Amino acid sequence: MSSIQWPFPSPARVLDTLRSGATRRVRRWARKRQGIDALSTKLRPGRVYILPTGVGLVFAIMIFAMLLGSMNYNNNLSFVLTFILIGIGFVAMHQCQRNLVGLELSFAGTDAVFAGQSIQFRIAITNQSKSARYGIRLYSDSEHSDAHDLQPGESTIFLLPVATQSRGWVSLNRFGIRTLFPFELFRAWAWLHMDLRGLAYPCPTKQPPEPPPTMVAHGHRQHDARGEEDFAGLRKYNEGDPPRHIAWKAFARSGQLFSKQFAGADTSSQWFDFNEIAASDVEQRLSILTSWIVSADRTLEDYGLRIPGKEFAPAHGVTHRRQCLEALALFDRDET
Amino acid sequence: MKAQPRGTDGSLLASLPWTLGALGLALAPHLPYLPIWITIASLGCAAWRYSIEKRRRMLPSRWVRGGLALACFVGVLVTYSSVSGVGPGSALLAIMAGLKLLETRRRRDQFVLLFISIFLVMSSLLREQYLWSLLYLIVSTLVILTAWLRMSAAESETARQSFVTGSRLLLYAAPLAIVMWVFFPRIATPFWAVPIDTSRATSGLSATMSPGDISSLSMSNEVAFRVRFADIVPAPRDRYWRGLVLTSFNGRTWAGTEPRIGSPASKQIAVRGEPITYEVTLEPTRQHWVFAIDIPMSWSLDNTFMGPQQQLMRVHPIDQRVAYEVVSYVDYRIEAELPKLFRDWYLKIPDNSNRRAAELARQMRSATGSDVAYIEAVLAKFHNEEYYYTLEPPPLGSSPVDRFLFDTRRGFCEHYASAFAFLMRSAGIPARIVLGYQGGEINPLGGHLIVRQSDAHAWTEVWLPETGWYRVDPTAAVAPERIDYGTLDVAFDGLGATWGFAASSQLLHRLSLTLDALNARWNDWVLGYGPDTQKKFMEWLGMQDPDWRKMMLTLVTIVIALIILISGLLMLRYRKPAQDRAAILYWRFVKQTGMQPHLGETAADFARRVAVDGTLDRQSVNNVITAYLDARYGPADDASLLRLKNAVTAIG
Repeated sequence: MSSIQWPFPSPARVLDTLRSGATRRVRRWARKRQGIDALSTKLRPGRVYILPTGVGLVFAIMIFAMLLGSMNYNNNLSFVLTFILIGIGFVAMHQCQRNLVGLELSFAGTDAVFAGQSIQFRIAITNQSKSARYGIRLYSDSEHSDAHDLQPGESTIFLLPVATQSRGWVSLNRFGIRTLFPFELFRAWAWLHMDLRGLAYPCPTKQPPEPPPTMVAHGHRQHDARGEEDFAGLRKYNEGDPPRHIAWKAFARSGQLFSKQFAGADTSSQWFDFNEIAASDVEQRLSILTSWIVSADRTLEDYGLRIPGKEFAPAHGVTHRRQCLEALALFDRDET
Repeated sequence: MKAQPRGTDGSLLASLPWTLGALGLALAPHLPYLPIWITIASLGCAAWRYSIEKRRRMLPSRWVRGGLALACFVGVLVTYSSVSGVGPGSALLAIMAGLKLLETRRRRDQFVLLFISIFLVMSSLLREQYLWSLLYLIVSTLVILTAWLRMSAAESETARQSFVTGSRLLLYAAPLAIVMWVFFPRIATPFWAVPIDTSRATSGLSATMSPGDISSLSMSNEVAFRVRFADIVPAPRDRYWRGLVLTSFNGRTWAGTEPRIGSPASKQIAVRGEPITYEVTLEPTRQHWVFAIDIPMSWSLDNTFMGPQQQLMRVHPIDQRVAYEVVSYVDYRIEAELPKLFRDWYLKIPDNSNRRAAELARQMRSATGSDVAYIEAVLAKFHNEEYYYTLEPPPLGSSPVDRFLFDTRRGFCEHYASAFAFLMRSAGIPARIVLGYQGGEINPLGGHLIVRQSDAHAWTEVWLPETGWYRVDPTAAVAPERIDYGTLDVAFDGLGATWGFAASSQLLHRLSLTLDALNARWNDWVLGYGPDTQKKFMEWLGMQDPDWRKMMLTLVTIVIALIILISGLLMLRYRKPAQDRAAILYWRFVKQTGMQPHLGETAADFARRVAVDGTLDRQSVNNVITAYLDARYGPADDASLLRLKNAVTAIG
């Protein structure tokens, strides 16, 4: 008996297919209608769409029942209640749409992540009107941001997470902004097509092989065994310099940050070379390089990176790390 | 089904008090009608739920909730023996609300509770409508809206802000509601009839009459009906509002059974004199009786017919306040011919009861020469002998007429009417008892007549060949002042004394009359706004031949106009704050430079960049910026604005 199969697709699935088809069509239409948006876009009334929610439909059915009841009993006070609620419905619809119109959305960058993590797209939303906006939320196909209120004149950064699977650019061609305020009877939303992208670095391997031993390459720096004790002078503080190297006395005198330089500070500089890794798979090699860079960066060692077509001299710091990881993320990809 | 997690984290604390408040307000008018256990159960659930949230405890398990639900449902079934109608319906809603609370874990679950509140408010309005009901309705709507907003409000938002937003939205909705209320076409006939539980509707009348069983008469001041006379206001002694007619007597109780044969009595009516035209607004009675002065010849109430004893009856019981117009005659002659069958019916008395009274009747009839003389003799007996009118007579036992006539000699209208009718029948004169109201008080403020439950009265009608049915009020023979002045003053004196300010009872009375006048207007214009009133109002507004199409068209047109207006208002609320003139001039300058300020760049920084760029003269850029900074941040005066204007124009 159990082998008997219902020969038709289940109604739920048919509905689902129909709905997703309709959604696709409507979205394509909206995209064609609106065109590509600038990185800072203000919501015109014409691009804010609105539809009742499930709660709104239940509310409508309830009101209809109340209207029938009032008519049946010719009860004027329950007519009053019914009509107040209908009025509230109308007002809520306009209020809901107005809650979005006029907001200004600007792209405010992303932070790169490792493949597999979510990229947080930062969107600044500015409310330049005289009234507060309530319960604003950003959403993409799969994720949504937290809901925030925006006071008059306030600008808030919303974080919209986008999942990544592999290294390289992750694009966000379309996202939405929506609100259910005031009574969740209606959902007002707008689609934005901003052509945003964020970068995913290769995912670091969990257990990378031992990094190559300390090397002195190309005679850039002489290996010197004198160690850190030999103070060699001060230079302007760079982001990423170890705090213990900051010259606090100099800071007290001049109000500027300086780092102490030691002759021998680059004793542990290493070269990470793409071609010298035993693994055969390109992605695996990139992952191994990534994990080496991450751990070297953590221990404040100088490191250099050599991949086919690119070379970064040993150094450390945030910028160096970013450059190296970016190169790895975009290795062999045509995009820039 | 997967069991829901039952923990609470206090996240509902922002909205739960408002939701509970909304539920409480919605439930309050139902409390007098609900069995006490339902009240206790719902209040208990509310308190329990609140303390769970407050202490972040666990919600009760599915089994506990299921058990409670089953117990309550069975309880409702046992209490009401039905689940339809407003009574059991509101009981079930109250129970559902309480139980739903116990499984409300997420904020959004409270939607159900708010919808239940709305239904409870609505069903309380179906049950009864007072002057203050509109206020109640608005307040509870406001609380429900606030609770609704609290449900999705951010943590930082205060309850006050939600309340203000709710009030604002309600204010926007109000004109829409008023327009819809006025223009929505009212229909006369209901789609279906569900009994409304108006067990509190009191009536001074019941369908049978057993003098001596009830030993005291209620002196309720509640309004039975109000009357607005078109022109002639009849004198108090002519205001006999006939309700129901009792024709059969079993020795103890008079009842309304009637002979079923014969032609409808209404065909045998002849009227003379001036008609009295008036409109009655009758409070709900749950009975079929429709009250009118003496003999009504036309009436406007639907499904209402004249019964065999010339009384008006409606097919459906009167569950809600109704208004109807009547044309009555006080000078009439009905049933000049009374067939033998009917004659016998109206003479029937049980053989073996009230023997002494029957004997008295035979003696008195033989002592007097005619039926008319006999009637006068009986009335004279009540007048001359020691018969007293009292509202608290002694009980009478199994032969009430005998005991009343010979022993107690104390009673009110029912006793006298019953004894008189018995004496008539015993002497061969057809007689019947009429129950209704007598008198009423004119409210000088509203110009209408108030008839109260305390005006309920019983009198008799006798049939004589010369006159047909003829009204005799034996109580008038005893206590004529009651017929002339009514009972109202007596009642109000008592009320004043109870509250310890007997001297100002007149003031109290006036206050009550003012309230009554307000109530009457309210009933006429708001609660009684039905198909007829609406038609009149539409005609007054200038609509020719109002019908539902025209009304709907007007409704839709005005509603659309109002929505456009509201949308405009909202747009105004959300407009940009006006820029000051300095800023406008600055942006003109920015345009002239052909460069864009960066996000967050100050005016001074921007000016520096422009100066470095070199397309504009360094000095004039400097002039603009100094003037701008002065105008923007310096003391507010027109001089710096003028300088800024000049500086900007100089560049252009």
